[in-house]
Amino acid sequence: MTLLSVKNLYVFIEDKQVDLLGPISFSLELGENLTIMGETGAGKSLIAQAILGSLPTGLKSRGDILLKGEAIDNLSQKQRSTLWGNIITALPQEPWLSLDPLMRSGQQVAETHRYLKSCNWKEAKKQTEQQFKKLDLSDTAQKRPFQLSGGMAQRVAFAAATAGDAELLLADEPTKGLDSHRHDKILSLLKAIPQKGDSLLTITHDLDLAYALGGKIIILKNGKIVEEGITHTVLSSPKASYTQALCAANPSSWPPLSSCTISSKENILVQSEKLRIGRNKIAFIKGLDFCLKAGESLAISGPSGIGKTSLLDTIIGSIKPMGGTLTRAEHIGKWEIQKLYQDPPTAFPPLISLKDNFKAVTKKHKMAWDQLLQLLENVELDASILERRPSNVSGGELQRLSFIRALIAKPKILLADEPTSRLDLITQETCLNLLKKLCREENIGIILVTHNQHIAEKWAHNHIDLNQFCV
Amino acid sequence: MIFFASYSPLKLYRKIGLSRSIGLGLLSIIIISTVIGPDLVGHDPAKQDLLHARQMPNAVHLLGTDHLGRDMAARLLSGARLSLSLGILSLVTAAFLGISLGIIAAWFGTWTDRFLTSFADAILALPGLLLVLILMASAPGSWWLLYIGISLTLWVEFFRYTRQRSRIILAHPSVDASKNLGLSNYFILTRHIFPELRNGLFTISAFGIASAITAIAALGFVSVGIRPPMAEWGLMMTQLLPYWREAPFLILQPIICLVLTILSLHLSVGGFHKK
Repeated sequence: MTLLSVKNLYVFIEDKQVDLLGPISFSLELGENLTIMGETGAGKSLIAQAILGSLPTGLKSRGDILLKGEAIDNLSQKQRSTLWGNIITALPQEPWLSLDPLMRSGQQVAETHRYLKSCNWKEAKKQTEQQFKKLDLSDTAQKRPFQLSGGMAQRVAFAAATAGDAELLLADEPTKGLDSHRHDKILSLLKAIPQKGDSLLTITHDLDLAYALGGKIIILKNGKIVEEGITHTVLSSPKASYTQALCAANPSSWPPLSSCTISSKENILVQSEKLRIGRNKIAFIKGLDFCLKAGESLAISGPSGIGKTSLLDTIIGSIKPMGGTLTRAEHIGKWEIQKLYQDPPTAFPPLISLKDNFKAVTKKHKMAWDQLLQLLENVELDASILERRPSNVSGGELQRLSFIRALIAKPKILLADEPTSRLDLITQETCLNLLKKLCREENIGIILVTHNQHIAEKWAHNHIDLNQFCV
Repeated sequence: MIFFASYSPLKLYRKIGLSRSIGLGLLSIIIISTVIGPDLVGHDPAKQDLLHARQMPNAVHLLGTDHLGRDMAARLLSGARLSLSLGILSLVTAAFLGISLGIIAAWFGTWTDRFLTSFADAILALPGLLLVLILMASAPGSWWLLYIGISLTLWVEFFRYTRQRSRIILAHPSVDASKNLGLSNYFILTRHIFPELRNGLFTISAFGIASAITAIAALGFVSVGIRPPMAEWGLMMTQLLPYWREAPFLILQPIICLVLTILSLHLSVGGFHKK
């Protein structure tokens, strides 16, 4: 039975009559699994919002959305919201942000049972208990969200989303910002949905997730479908050039690093011996030995919460090592260790134009404006982009701008904290390659923190897995 | 000129919405008439004419005369001048004090923050008008004490808002990035903090002037504020109260002026967060 069928769906800006995406057509049977993939900013999330009827103000959709054979796109907002939870449900992006911070987790989920199925509280609590047992959450019912680990919070959010036994689950970027361990957990939860006979619509830019989920896939580019079919066939023998590029950009299929030797012992920038790192007298990492030379790249990997950020803070000097030694080369000046941030939009002052920001940085480090324009040209960015505010620039462009901004300070060491974890695969590859090229040209030593094992192995000269040094 | 070209009244109206347009329109009328009005009216607000007391509005006295035959229009405008200038002056003082102390508290943290916050809380614990009353009790009718008292009650709001917002902004990764790039504290102040504070400060300022004007009128009404023969709205209400039955249009005038001024201030910052 066809559960959801979408025909010629367009999403457009109401005032300007500009189409953001479309035409999109697909159908989803009960018990089926459909993945929509595409670059960041391609408007993937808008599809989910159009189906739910929760498009941001100013955006409208046209085309047919049929749920169980009935058109739902011309229902009133109130009628559509009665579908939520019962027939359609959505797993929000970064689910731990969607929990009520002051409510016990069991209570939050029981509430969904209570109001969606209109059963009494006793019954709702019983059902929650059963659900928590299945999800391995039994002892968390009395805890509040801030007491839960990220993985647990995610399962609680999952429990709340699926409490109404909805037939269609929309999962919008379910793996965004997750390390590989949590990635596997959410994958097994999502996989169980089609097996139960319900339907799953996943929107993601994570190729590994799409492959593991199987089912059908739609590849989007610039808001249009470029390829669709059975996931495994599409991804193993892609036809459209965009899909081919997408598959090639996945870190697991990157070519292994051609061994280039960086010798010369004199160029050691930073070196540690038996380093012990922690905050507030609690150590996270012990016995860490590493060495970074000019022009070299070092990848540090490990699950979230292991102390990667603390390690970077120790190298930059904002926290002191708890033991061992950390030697920085003496010629490294005050501003010559620069940082790249995880979420590019948060690295720029949000309410001023980029030009204003870059003017101040070039002035401080005495770089001519023309030289900056030259740098921008090198990374294929147009100078007009500087007139905008950070919120109006895409993540990939913004991350490239933050490379340039760091380069203005003429750094010797560049610390990159998950600089691409929020970018789609193709943008990620371009950014990382660019980063490597720039660092080689300028003879900068770079430390890259990542949770992606493949990137760590195939991108960097040296790789440290922090799991081995965990306290 | 570019400013006017890109913001025709209609466009401006679409951008800021109905309530703010009404508020700003009303406010500009009040301010313009306060500035040029007294010269247009041409009467001396203090000149008595007991033979023509309590006149209905007529061609000579546009809004009539009060119980001592003084021209109402001239007195209302002179009251407006006094209230608005005192309100704005106290606000500027309070804003300067509150914003700078707020940023200092957020920037330095630790005991500086604790000291300033407890000081602000102590002032907040006193009802605002009571503080002014205590000050005024030492020298009734003193313009300077009125100004100091109102500023003292108003700065706390600025301080609390600025401190709270600045703490959040200073913890943002972009500030860390700017510091790391060697950008000055001046940059962090003017490019990170001020742009984020601006809208909230506008709102607090408008409400602040409104409460200052209300406070001046309230003190005038209970005869501790501005002294006669100065024309002041609260004082006028007290003086005209005995005649409310014979000449209700007289006492209504300062009341309407006060209501319109407060209303225009509140409306002009309403709906800031809407598109």
